Amino acid sequence: MTTTISREQWGSRFGYLMAVVGAMVGAGNIWRMPYVTGENGGGAFLIAYFLLLYLIAVPGLMGETSLGRYTRQGLIGTFRKLYGNNRLVGLGLVILIFNIVLMSYYSSIVGWSIYYAFHAVIGTFTQADFDTAALWQAFSGNTALNVGMHSVAMLLVTGILLFGIKGGIERLAKWMMPILTIALIAIAIRGVTLPGAMAGLEFSFSPNWAYLARGETWLAALGQALFSTGLGWGIALTYGSYLGRNDDIPLGGGVFTAIGNTSFGLLAIFAVFPIVFAFDISPSSGAELAFVALANAFGSMTGGYLWALLFFMGFFFANLTTAIAITEVGVTTYREERNTNRTKAVLTICGIIWLLGIPSAMNANILGYLDFVIGNWGLPLSTFIIMITIGWKFDAQRLRVVSLNRGADIYVPRVWELVVRYQIPAIMLGIMAYFLYTNLGQTPWKTVSGLAILTLMIPLCMWVMGRRHDMPYTATSKGGPSS
Amino acid sequence: MSLSAIIVMIVSIIALWGVASYALIVSMRQEERKLALLQSQDDFEPYSPRAFRDLEQWLAQHSDSEHAPEVREWQQAQRQSLQRNPQRFYEWSHADDDARGAS
Repeated sequence: MTTTISREQWGSRFGYLMAVVGAMVGAGNIWRMPYVTGENGGGAFLIAYFLLLYLIAVPGLMGETSLGRYTRQGLIGTFRKLYGNNRLVGLGLVILIFNIVLMSYYSSIVGWSIYYAFHAVIGTFTQADFDTAALWQAFSGNTALNVGMHSVAMLLVTGILLFGIKGGIERLAKWMMPILTIALIAIAIRGVTLPGAMAGLEFSFSPNWAYLARGETWLAALGQALFSTGLGWGIALTYGSYLGRNDDIPLGGGVFTAIGNTSFGLLAIFAVFPIVFAFDISPSSGAELAFVALANAFGSMTGGYLWALLFFMGFFFANLTTAIAITEVGVTTYREERNTNRTKAVLTICGIIWLLGIPSAMNANILGYLDFVIGNWGLPLSTFIIMITIGWKFDAQRLRVVSLNRGADIYVPRVWELVVRYQIPAIMLGIMAYFLYTNLGQTPWKTVSGLAILTLMIPLCMWVMGRRHDMPYTATSKGGPSS
Repeated sequence: MSLSAIIVMIVSIIALWGVASYALIVSMRQEERKLALLQSQDDFEPYSPRAFRDLEQWLAQHSDSEHAPEVREWQQAQRQSLQRNPQRFYEWSHADDDARGAS
């Protein structure tokens, strides 16, 4: 017997757009993109990046969102609808597990940003002779505090998700994304007016055309375009499943999501590197840049309290909206699969993530290892599976004709089918092979063990879903475009 | 700053913030138009002329497909919407309307 429960929808177009761009704008946009741009030829990198963004991320996100809107199901429900109730549904379970593992350590990063936002609020960075490196070292070395911040992060995510798609995710994103934009613009204006700031912009934008001929530049651009936009992780699919049947996808779910997300990266370049160069800080990326170098610079600036507050609150908002999106993939799927209410699904998934996240919160090496495995192979494999599913199993032509161009604000031509069928899967295979080749020599144990876990996970997930094959399937929401 | 860096910076702003802002504005305006049509006539045609041509072409090429009934359902819904509703969401030329028998 198939039962049907009503499926929530986004309350407004603006809300959906802010939620989906908020899902994609995370720590990487703010603490990674400025450095990657400057290190890879500045303007030359940006050209490579724009090309790859339009050639891969935009069409890929269109496809993933469109598939979610068509099936109106979460990850596993979508795979079941397409592959039938058999072991291949396990491929959806593989992607779901990647999301849960990703969130288990991303929660620690959200915790870091909460901790620094709190210190910005109480004015720690503007205290006389304050040592930001010492604060970061003390924080990093305090296991209990890290677990505590991870717990606070998961409590926040749980609380927001309990309010649902419209009342929780959408309401939050409608406020947080405009505030993040204003905060970064304000910091950027302050940054570029500092003496010596222009050197930062020169570092980021000055085009070194020789870099366009280097494979590393294109690979860095590819990595940024893929990982920053969250293509193929199931987020766009899940958020798309809450769209109305006549809502536009190509312009909002594709162009705006990918380009809007990158726009925050550009804004981060303006906000971060002028300050870095004005204070003669060595350009870097990651936690060192945000929590040590920038925190130190804010403390030395006139009105430093305000700039630190804006930056760390903005950074926290960016991380929180991403964390919510990653967790929602699991919540939507669990709710449908177990035919349960949202509260139970949120508490279960957030509880699992909280437990799994404790080791990463306690030990930075575990966090680094998980990030290494998931970033190098887990997420490209997810993207590969989703694109193959769209292009070949569902049929890219049928998806374009029936769903993608339905209610669309821009027409998507036939060439899109080739991109989804051939280009993106081939690039994903290539990127996984390249990461294997480059990491095998440098970190053989990490590489082999990570790949072994991933390789075993696929047949294991297929076996688990194959065992459920004989059980009566109860769908929990209407699928297909007629719903 | 060097001239080349200034040019790249300006082009980047236009290519990213320009495109993103334009996409946001167009998307919001189109949504308003859809809502207005839903309020005034409860419905609007879901496919543009080009998208509808693709739909019909797909049906012609895959008439025996297991998915054909579903696509036919959408073809029918589009035709009914075009016949029923005086206002359109997409721009339809007279030739398009005549070809769909919706004039």
